[in-house]
Amino acid sequence: MSVISLRLKDREIERINELSKMSHKDKSAVARELIDYGWEFLMIKQYREGKLSLSALAEKLELSVSEAIDLLSEFGVESPIDYDDYLKGFEAFKK
Amino acid sequence: MEMVFDSSTMILLAKSELLGIASENIHIIIPEMVKAECAVKNTFDAKLILALIGNKKIEVVTANQKAVGALRRDFKIHAGEAESLAVALKKQIPLAVDDLPTIKACKILNVKFTTAIHFLITITEKGRIDSEMALVKLEKLSFYGRYNKRIIDDAAKRLKGGKECRL
Repeated sequence: MSVISLRLKDREIERINELSKMSHKDKSAVARELIDYGWEFLMIKQYREGKLSLSALAEKLELSVSEAIDLLSEFGVESPIDYDDYLKGFEAFKK
Repeated sequence: MEMVFDSSTMILLAKSELLGIASENIHIIIPEMVKAECAVKNTFDAKLILALIGNKKIEVVTANQKAVGALRRDFKIHAGEAESLAVALKKQIPLAVDDLPTIKACKILNVKFTTAIHFLITITEKGRIDSEMALVKLEKLSFYGRYNKRIIDDAAKRLKGGKECRL
């Protein structure tokens, strides 16, 4: 692991302290967990906004596509496919 | 009828236990990268997909990598999605995909697209499963596919025979 220096706001330090006490983990571990959660949230948000494909989301989160689908289902993240696209989808079956 | 599948729709149908029935009605074609994406872990859906490939129900083809590179660059989509789109473009057949960036690319390139929920409706319309079972499958598909309420409501209506499906 590498070491870096960061300037944090008082509120952010309070949050790390609070989480550290709650989870009985050291501050570094808690900060790393928060970064992971933040990364996951941002990637899911980008997927939800249609900026990231499902496979790209899976890669960013180091998951298989199947696991990414399970994660999105678990969090109840709505698919970005809209009703117009759904209606257009029927045209593929027309002969 | 032939159709290219992206891993998103393929996995959704496998998780909803509809892929076997879909493969009996449609000749499913996937590029190598989609096979790799689907089989990367030893999950139930991976085993099902590999079994269907083994039984020749799903055909695996090689995509033109030059075309794949251009599609990835132009539409910022991933390798599996770009390979599926490249095969659909070359063969001039529809693409089954539950991924918005790839659907957007399909619209621009004039490639017909469809999603997992359309297969459930089609299979039911053709009498392959009854309405009661179709609604159970819809529940499963809505969990994994996470379609919006308007789509789910419309699909439920079609599955109950409330609106004629134009297929």
